[in-house]
Amino acid sequence: MSRKAKDNLVRGAIYGCAGFTVLILVVIIGFIVIKGLPGISIDFLTRDYEDKTTYISVDAAEQEQTSGQEEGYVSSIKAVIGLNDKGQAVITKLDEDSPLKEAKNTKNEAYPVSKKDIITKAGDLKIEGISSLSDAVSSLNGLSGNVKLKITRPGGGILPMVVTTLYMIGISLLISAPVGIFSAVYLIEYAKPGRLMSTIHFAIQNLAGIPSIIYGLFGSLFFVKVCRLQYSLLAGALTLSIILLPTIITTTEEALKAIPKTYRESSLGLGATKLQTINKVILPNAMPGILVALLLGIGRIVGESAALLLTAGTVAQIPQALFGNSASGATLTIKMYTLMKEENDLTTACAIGIVLLVIIIFINWASKAITKRLLKKGA
Amino acid sequence: MAEKKPAKFSVQDLSLYYGDFKALNQINMEIPQNEIIAFIGPSGCGKSTFLKTINRMNDLIEGVKVEGKIYMDGTDIYKDIDVIKLRQKVGMVFQQPNPFPMSIYDNVAYGPRIHGIKKKSQLDEIVETSLKQAAIWDEVKDRLKKNALGMSGGQQQRICIARALAVEPEVILMDEPTSALDPISTLKIEDLAVELKEKYTIIIVTHNMQQASRISDRTAFFLTGDVIEYGETEEIFNNPVQKKTEDYITGRFG
Repeated sequence: MSRKAKDNLVRGAIYGCAGFTVLILVVIIGFIVIKGLPGISIDFLTRDYEDKTTYISVDAAEQEQTSGQEEGYVSSIKAVIGLNDKGQAVITKLDEDSPLKEAKNTKNEAYPVSKKDIITKAGDLKIEGISSLSDAVSSLNGLSGNVKLKITRPGGGILPMVVTTLYMIGISLLISAPVGIFSAVYLIEYAKPGRLMSTIHFAIQNLAGIPSIIYGLFGSLFFVKVCRLQYSLLAGALTLSIILLPTIITTTEEALKAIPKTYRESSLGLGATKLQTINKVILPNAMPGILVALLLGIGRIVGESAALLLTAGTVAQIPQALFGNSASGATLTIKMYTLMKEENDLTTACAIGIVLLVIIIFINWASKAITKRLLKKGA
Repeated sequence: MAEKKPAKFSVQDLSLYYGDFKALNQINMEIPQNEIIAFIGPSGCGKSTFLKTINRMNDLIEGVKVEGKIYMDGTDIYKDIDVIKLRQKVGMVFQQPNPFPMSIYDNVAYGPRIHGIKKKSQLDEIVETSLKQAAIWDEVKDRLKKNALGMSGGQQQRICIARALAVEPEVILMDEPTSALDPISTLKIEDLAVELKEKYTIIIVTHNMQQASRISDRTAFFLTGDVIEYGETEEIFNNPVQKKTEDYITGRFG
C-alpha cells in the first residue's frame, strides 16, 4: 500500500470516529428534545406534580343583572368558566373583586383560587359531565350565601422536583464546600509531605472512583437507619456531600497550587500570619478555581440518581423538613427514573431530560466563563 | 569616609544547614544603621540565604537549621522576638516584582490592614506617604484603584517597595531587586535606595558589580557560604585584601 493510501485510511478512521461520537450525541439529544419538547410549558415548570383537590368556602357575590358579559361569566363568583373534556367547570378568568380570591379551605386558611383550577362540586351539586356551558353557568349562578366548592388544582408539573433539586444543591454544598475547601487548604498549606500526605491523597483518589450506589448503600444504612433521618433531604444531602468531597478537594488543591509562591512570601514578609495570608491572599485568588469546583459539584448533584434513590426517596413533593417523615423528595433525575420505570411516561421523562440538559449546559458554560476570566487575569 | 554609626545587626558565628548541606559557614558581621550594605558573590554562594535569615524567611523552608546568633538592636531575633514582629520591622523586596493581583491601593494598604489599621483616613495617609517615599506617587496617584499587575515591571517593583514601607519597617532587605528590570527602572530603584537610607537600613543582594559600587556604603563578598571579605565599598572595589575578591570583582570568575 502506498504511503498516501495509508495516510488517507488512517485519516478516514480518525474523522469517522469523531463523526460517530458527534452523531451519537446528536441522536441522543435530538431524541430527548423531540420527545420531550411537547411536554415543556410554563405549567410544566410551575405546577405541582399531583392533582390537588380541596374543599373551599366562598361567599357568593350579590347577583346583579349585567349584560354584555363574556360567554361563560358566572356573576355569583365573578369569574369566567369554560368546560373541559370531562364536562367540569374550568376557571379561565377571574375578576379583580372575585370572591374566589378570598376563599378559605377547611382549616380556615386562605386558599385563593387561580386560573385553570377546576370546580368539580358546588354545594351538593356535582359539576361533571355537563354538556353545555350555559347549563354550568346557570347552575353555578344559582348559588348564594356561603358556598362550599370542591376545587381541583391540576398537577402534571415538576415544581416539587425542581425545588427538591435546588434544596439538595444548597444543603449538599453547604456541608461539602467548607469541609472540602478547608481540607484542601490543610493539604496544601499545612500538611508536611510524607507518608501521611500520600495516604490521604491515595484515599481521596480512590473515594472519587467508587460507584455512587455504594455511597448510597452506606447512606441508607447509616444516615437513614442508624441516624434515624429516614428518607430525607438531609440524608440525601449528607450522602451527596461525601460523594462531592473528593472532587471539591482535588479541584481546590489544584487552584491553591496554581497560586505563585511569591504571593505567600510577600505576604509573610510583610508580617502577616499564615492564617491572614490564606484568608487575604490565597483564598481570594483561588476563588475562581474553587467556584469551578463547586459548579462541578452542582453538576454531580443534578446528575446523581443511585445514591439519592436510597437516601432521599422518590416522592414527588416539596420536602417540608430537613429530616423525618415529611422530608423526603425526588430530584429531577430520580423522578425521571421513576417515570420511566413505574409510569412508562416517556414524554414527561424526556421533558425533564431537557430541563436537566439546560442546567448542565448552563453549568458548563459558567465554569468555562470563570476559567476564562481566571486565565485572563493571570496573564 | 563614613563616620562610625551604631550597629543595627550583629551577626555572631551564624551557620545554616539545608538538611546536611552547610549553606552558611560561621558568619560574623556588624551591619551599621542607615547604610546600604551590598552582598555580592557568585550564584549559590549563600548571599540570598543569609539575607533571608535576617527576617527569618528561611523558616518557611523544610529542613533548615540555624546555628549562631543574629542580634537586632541587641535582641536575639531567633529567640527573643516574635517572627511576625520581626518581619514587620525587617521588610523585604523580592527579585521578581510581585505585587498581589489587587489594586495599587490595596497592595500598599495590605500590610497596615493585617496589622489592624482599619480607618480609611489613616490608610489613605499611609498609602500616600509610602508611595511618595517609593517615588511612584506621581505616576499612580490617579489610578490607585487600578490593578497593580497592569503596571510596568519597574513600577511594580516600586509599588512593592511602597508596600514594604507601609508597615514602617526599620530595615529593608532587597533580594536582587533590579535583576528583572530595564536599565532606566534600575536607576530609579537605585536612586530610591540611596534616598531611603536616610530613614532605613538597607541590605541589598546584587549580581551587578556596578550597582554595588554605585549605591552601597559597605560590601560583603560571599563565596561558598563564607564571607571572604567585608568592608567599605570603596576599599573592596579599589583595594581588596583577598585575592579571591579581586578575581571576582575584576570578572575573572563568577
